[in-house]
Amino acid sequence: MKGRGAYLASRVGWALLTIFVVITFNFLLFRILPGDPARNVSKDPRLTPATVAALTERFGLDKPVLINTESGNPFDSQYFIYLGSLTRADLGISYAFRDRSVGEMLGGALVNTLWLILPAQILSIILGMLLGLLAAWRRGHALDLSALIFSLLMWSLPTFFLGIVLLFAGSAWFGLPTAGRITVGADFGSYWEELADIGRHLLMPTLAFTLVLLGEYMLIMRSSVIEVFSEDYILTAKAKGLTTLQIIRDHALRNAMLPMVTLIAINLGFTVSGAIQIESVFSWPGIGSLTVSAVRDRDYPVLQGAFLLLAIAVVIANLAADLVYGWLDPRVSEA
Amino acid sequence: MRSSRSVLLPALAALSIIVAACTSTSPSESSGPSGSSAPASGGTVRVGIGGFPDSLNPGNGLLSESYTLYELVYDTPIGLTPDGDYVPELAKSWSVSDDGLTWSVELVDNATFHDGTALTAEDLKFSLELYRDTVDFPYMPAYPDVFETIEAVDATHLTITTAEPIGNFESRMVFIYVIPKHIWESVDDPVAFQNEEMIGSGPFKFVESEQGQFTRLAANKDYWGDAPKIDEVIFQTYDNADARVAALVNGDIDMITEFPNTAVATLRNAENVEVVVADPVSGDLRDIIPNIVDPENCPVDEGGVCTGHPALLDVQVRKALAMAMDKQQIIDVALLSLGSPGLSMVPRGLGDFFADDVSDYAFDVSGANDLLDTAGYADTNGDGIRECLPSQDCPTGDLTFRFNFPDDIDSGPREADMLKAMWQEIGVKIEIQALDADTLTSICCPTFDFDLILWGWGSDPDPAFLLGVALCDEIPTGFSETGYCNPDYDELYVRQGVEPDHQARVAIVHEMQQILVDDVVYMIPYYASSTQAYRSDRFTGWVTGPTTIGLEDPSSLGVISKVQ
Repeated sequence: MKGRGAYLASRVGWALLTIFVVITFNFLLFRILPGDPARNVSKDPRLTPATVAALTERFGLDKPVLINTESGNPFDSQYFIYLGSLTRADLGISYAFRDRSVGEMLGGALVNTLWLILPAQILSIILGMLLGLLAAWRRGHALDLSALIFSLLMWSLPTFFLGIVLLFAGSAWFGLPTAGRITVGADFGSYWEELADIGRHLLMPTLAFTLVLLGEYMLIMRSSVIEVFSEDYILTAKAKGLTTLQIIRDHALRNAMLPMVTLIAINLGFTVSGAIQIESVFSWPGIGSLTVSAVRDRDYPVLQGAFLLLAIAVVIANLAADLVYGWLDPRVSEA
Repeated sequence: MRSSRSVLLPALAALSIIVAACTSTSPSESSGPSGSSAPASGGTVRVGIGGFPDSLNPGNGLLSESYTLYELVYDTPIGLTPDGDYVPELAKSWSVSDDGLTWSVELVDNATFHDGTALTAEDLKFSLELYRDTVDFPYMPAYPDVFETIEAVDATHLTITTAEPIGNFESRMVFIYVIPKHIWESVDDPVAFQNEEMIGSGPFKFVESEQGQFTRLAANKDYWGDAPKIDEVIFQTYDNADARVAALVNGDIDMITEFPNTAVATLRNAENVEVVVADPVSGDLRDIIPNIVDPENCPVDEGGVCTGHPALLDVQVRKALAMAMDKQQIIDVALLSLGSPGLSMVPRGLGDFFADDVSDYAFDVSGANDLLDTAGYADTNGDGIRECLPSQDCPTGDLTFRFNFPDDIDSGPREADMLKAMWQEIGVKIEIQALDADTLTSICCPTFDFDLILWGWGSDPDPAFLLGVALCDEIPTGFSETGYCNPDYDELYVRQGVEPDHQARVAIVHEMQQILVDDVVYMIPYYASSTQAYRSDRFTGWVTGPTTIGLEDPSSLGVISKVQ
């Protein structure tokens, strides 16, 4: 019995298992690193042994890592306490910002990241697919060549370089802001004015990220469509007298979409990790910026939380891709 | 602390808000407060900074960005001028009893918190006790830890007793940000307290902040001292240094607190931008740490393995290394000349504690070679590297040293390469390896599993902090990086700690620096300069020296006014 229900169940099961393995791996990863987080808060001699001990206890690092063999309760260990707090959606406190919870920090950053990345993703998917389709349709013509050169250029340009060029250009020629999400201290007359201000801040980072993603989508779409165009059934369709538009719409697009779905799913999954380079260049306070500063500060709980969020997003995006695959290509779920 | 770019000592940001202390320095623009035309008031100053305050709670802060904020929003009993002098702030006066054990402090009577409540001796007592007794505050407990009893005599008088006389009462009071008792006394866990209202008594009031983005302050026009002339200060975080520089050039912001030395030329050529280069407040230093722990002092119980190269225990070898080091070349290449040659563990920003009377080893390659020849280190096998003495059990048999540095020092690889070339001239080889700071800490101390480490420190305004790294007692604690142990030095350290007379204490501190240089306990390639830049067409009256700068400090933000 290999029906659609079983396919769905097995995919979801694998996804849950993956997340659990990631949680455990994530937990262990930061504990096999050298150094003592309480002392790493600051390598400063004014941290007395009493302070280090107090911080160690506050961070919960005074307990055994995996299994507590000393007290009566084997589950009184860092690992099980971590699992327990995860079930309450509690990601712990930040080491670098000791009065802030990781959940609060990640939540705020995630919202900012989505503001930046979702529009860029959607724009680049639509534009990339259109451009790829056009290029494949006009294969060998000037349109194809220029689209190809443009996409290759965008794909190969280092992201931070494109970002900084756009930042300088936007600031010098169009008076666009150079950092942040909103003009601090500005007096907004209405909600719309505030939204417009955020839009001005978003313009260049969105453009930069769209251009970065666009090239890849275009190239994959183009080669995928070209491949489909060489199939026999397209020849048959032509022989039947269908117009190019009909061929693309009814026969080519659905099959050409398969590689695109994979790519989109992967990219969407990594969306929550933020566009690290774009966020850094434009000082956009998203997950990418937060991750960079957490690495710099060795803020393990924040990194652990960010990795978990990323893992869950990637797993969900892959799950979605699997399901869409099953719908686009029934052979997948019935195999 | 060992300095990295993100974590700096509070001292780097700590300055007095006392305007009087700043009048001796002349701002580069003329329309100062004392000018004939009345200065324009108002205006929002936008400051581009690289980081973000790690906590609004003054007990929790680690980053210099946080201390900048505390200095603006809170008052401390005693202030520190940019040139390292202690001046009255909330405390009008302070004195010590004849036995040196009881300190009396008299506070100003007109200070109020931003919520309108009067600031009294009770608030200071509460703050001192909270900072002293909250052990999970990382830095704070170290300042009032010797204060045994603290009594508020009346609203403006306070007495503090210590078990032993102390020589650094002033430096212990410059980071005591006085917090309002009526708000904090109901806080159960002061470490978890986010202090989102941030009620202080300082020249600026906290308005709002957003994680990783900005902090916004408004001038406290009812300030008990001289109120700021500007209306608002906004600290905007720029993750990217190039973007920060561009924002200043384009006029998006009015001042930047830090930027790469490579941007100095660009900024000097930009219109309406003034670049200021000076020593940082308190200062920081680059050091080369030799592993010189005596095998007898190896802290085995603390994990010490003490694998240092035996030749480094010979002071002649260390002297030769110091003499063969061309500090100016390192400064020119690694810092683009924006630094000064280092001497000892006390940087120039510490005022008269800096030992200008101690002479350093002059750059002298042939002298260094002579020194090693005389000491018996000869290159017998002709491979260019001198061999060890027969009495030394060297791992490779010659003067080949392991050389590590943390990978978060941008100029680390260049500095290491230069040192390698310089030391090659005297028949010494180094094997360079960059390490993650955590890994470096784990081989450093108290493990002592290294030969030479290139690292750095940010200093406290009080020299006792960094002079303490060379004490015998600190070998097992991991604070001592070199493993140096000299009872004479330790005795001087104790003496400077209890010497109430400033000049006498300065003399002892100089003597200690002389010992550190004589014994080559550290090699200090340089003290890096601080670079800041501001727009001259927006605000005027920035305090730019003469020896140190901190444009983001109250000393500047409290006095600047809008250009008319």
